[in-house]
Amino acid sequence: MIGEISHFLSLSAVLLLSLVLIFNLFFFFSKIHPNQLTLSMRLFNQACWLVFISFGMYVYLAISDDFSIAYIANHSNSQLPIFYKITSIWSAHEGSMFLWIVFLTAWSILFINSLNNNHPLKKFTLLMLSLIILGFLLFLLLTSNPFERILPFGAVEGADINPVLQDPALAIHPPMLYLGYVGFVISFSFITAYLLNGNFELQWEQDIKNWSLVAWIFLTIGIALGSWWAYYELGWGGYWFWDPVENVALMPWLAATAFMHSLFASSKSNVLKTWTMFLGILIFALSLFGAFIVRSGIIDSVHSFANDPERGLYLLSFSGLITLFALTIFAYRLPALNSSKLVVTGSKESFLSMNNILMITSIFSIFLGVTYPLIIESINGDKVSIGPPYYNTIFAPLILIAAIFIMISVDALWQRSMPLRRFFTAIAVPVTLSLISMYLIWWTTSVFSILAYIGIFSGLLILFSYLLRVINNLFNKKFINKGSAIAHTGLGLLFFAVSMNSILSYEKNLNLAPGQSILVDKSVQEFSFNDIRVIKASNHDVISAKVSLLQDGREISLNPQKRKYTTRGQITSESSIHATFLKDTYLTIGDQLENGSWTFSLKINYFIKWIWFSAALMVLGMLLTIFKKKVS
Amino acid sequence: MLQVRKNRLWKLLTILFLSAGGISLILFSLNSKLDLFYTPSEMLQADIKPGYRIKLGGMVKNGSITRDGTTIRFQVTDFIKEVSVTFDGVPPDLFKEDSGVVILGYFLDGMFEAEEIFAKHDENYMPPELSIDPPAI
Repeated sequence: MIGEISHFLSLSAVLLLSLVLIFNLFFFFSKIHPNQLTLSMRLFNQACWLVFISFGMYVYLAISDDFSIAYIANHSNSQLPIFYKITSIWSAHEGSMFLWIVFLTAWSILFINSLNNNHPLKKFTLLMLSLIILGFLLFLLLTSNPFERILPFGAVEGADINPVLQDPALAIHPPMLYLGYVGFVISFSFITAYLLNGNFELQWEQDIKNWSLVAWIFLTIGIALGSWWAYYELGWGGYWFWDPVENVALMPWLAATAFMHSLFASSKSNVLKTWTMFLGILIFALSLFGAFIVRSGIIDSVHSFANDPERGLYLLSFSGLITLFALTIFAYRLPALNSSKLVVTGSKESFLSMNNILMITSIFSIFLGVTYPLIIESINGDKVSIGPPYYNTIFAPLILIAAIFIMISVDALWQRSMPLRRFFTAIAVPVTLSLISMYLIWWTTSVFSILAYIGIFSGLLILFSYLLRVINNLFNKKFINKGSAIAHTGLGLLFFAVSMNSILSYEKNLNLAPGQSILVDKSVQEFSFNDIRVIKASNHDVISAKVSLLQDGREISLNPQKRKYTTRGQITSESSIHATFLKDTYLTIGDQLENGSWTFSLKINYFIKWIWFSAALMVLGMLLTIFKKKVS
Repeated sequence: MLQVRKNRLWKLLTILFLSAGGISLILFSLNSKLDLFYTPSEMLQADIKPGYRIKLGGMVKNGSITRDGTTIRFQVTDFIKEVSVTFDGVPPDLFKEDSGVVILGYFLDGMFEAEEIFAKHDENYMPPELSIDPPAI
């Protein structure tokens, strides 16, 4: 019964949103009376609440194990803790789409109610938001209905959630990511509304700045959590695989980062306005493209949901139409828009624009990497895939140029050209320091790889420029933008950590019997396999090994496990990680051989924790930017 | 006015130069960094240069897995032809007999040397390139 009510509420939301849409379209060309706007706002708010209540009831259904609902029966189980019963809702396509819509609705209702009723853009923003929510709700109900019942008799027990998904990081990774993706619906709708409205005297940047910053933060956390989970749960010891689905999350992130930068420039000095608008449209288009890639199953990836052409077709046409609509008005309005000030050469904005171009280039290269296999296959039927080497070669030079521009821009001024003398001092010190550090790195590690050293150099350039700026701030009382400094330090650290990780990390495959101990290398002087035993847990059996290592003169004990889940018969590895400041010692247990010995995979990952630390720094920097006091 | 135009020209040239550089880099990497996908039958027919990294997809043949220390040998089949594979390391959890697998590596003298074995989240995963349904179990 509750399932039907929940389903009915979602359907009613569709009805109300259609009313809002028709009502607003009626006033498309004429001025809307405040009372009429109040009425459509009321309808819109009610529609949003219907979606929330419907989702709330769905959560209740999941908690109370209603296995007559097909989706819950397929993805939950009565033995699961309540936390995972709830998170099982977004462990597959239908439920995660539902969550996506709930977030979309939440962002929309918060934003539209924050706008004053007299705001000239409110009418069109409301129109865009209700159109987008309606499109996704119809997608959910028509092609991927989470409310579908198993008739006439429901399942007695649920099929259980995939064990690798029973993990806190993964439980919050999709919500964070979705909050980021759909958060940019606000800038998208607002910019489209601005273009529809046609009064270009209006200032629009301040209204969406903080909203976009928050969305950016969620997107960053979402991506970082996903990569952290992949690192410790999948047992491969890697953190980024250039998988198509990771790529479609990275593209909106890059677009959003470019958007934030040009938004700062345009709200500060009235330049790049048109460009910022274009980026605002691009982010949302890329988010929708991501949804299409992931949910249509068109590209084979570890993340893909079940293959369903109907869903893909709907999503592609819907997102295509929305994007086309926005781009058409954009092109139509372009001649009237093109009156913003020009960027001064050598000013902060000029370097920022350069990096904007670089970010667009990297988005384009990723886009090509994702779609190239599809293009090739449709042309001559060859199956190809594009892996990390492609992206590494593309990104190394781009990163280097970006780092150089960041380094120069640290000392550059807004709206004013930089004197040539200061230009050289800005470059000389970081470059010298970076070259010396690189030599020291090469001298201590004696490993060389051109791509990695380009990455290290780029990272160091950024780090040293900001270090100098901080020193200047401390001793010469020079102004420093804390948010920007912290976020960029995070970026420099990321380049550095990723590159160092790629040259220093290594892997050893070992094979030994319980009680045996061996010498691995200079660093791991003793690897002792002490004991192995089978433990019974509530819904799985655990094969747990006890291993102790004598590493760099210190004794560490590791406890890698293998779990066999009873309901699905699935096996998962639980890696055991010992983290120090510089490196992680990462151990997974493999299989037992006929002679009774076991295989192990020992990975030494350098600087890996620094990667997530740098993501945290970027988030912290953006947070500071939000809470920064307005300089009058 | 002239100054403004000159600036614009410079800007345009820089943009063109950067995008041309970017695109040539992309095309260069695309050509050398592709991994072609083969099924066992295709692989045995195709003329593959040694040292050319490729992907092999198929099913792990039942009863074919043997281990020697950390080295694993097994056969990948598309129910027509088989290719023998060697891999040094710990395979992913979902690697087992009678289940789908995608392997990245090098084809040398009829043997496939695996560099990486890909895990799939889905335990019912089957490479879509395998056109034939597996025999019912």
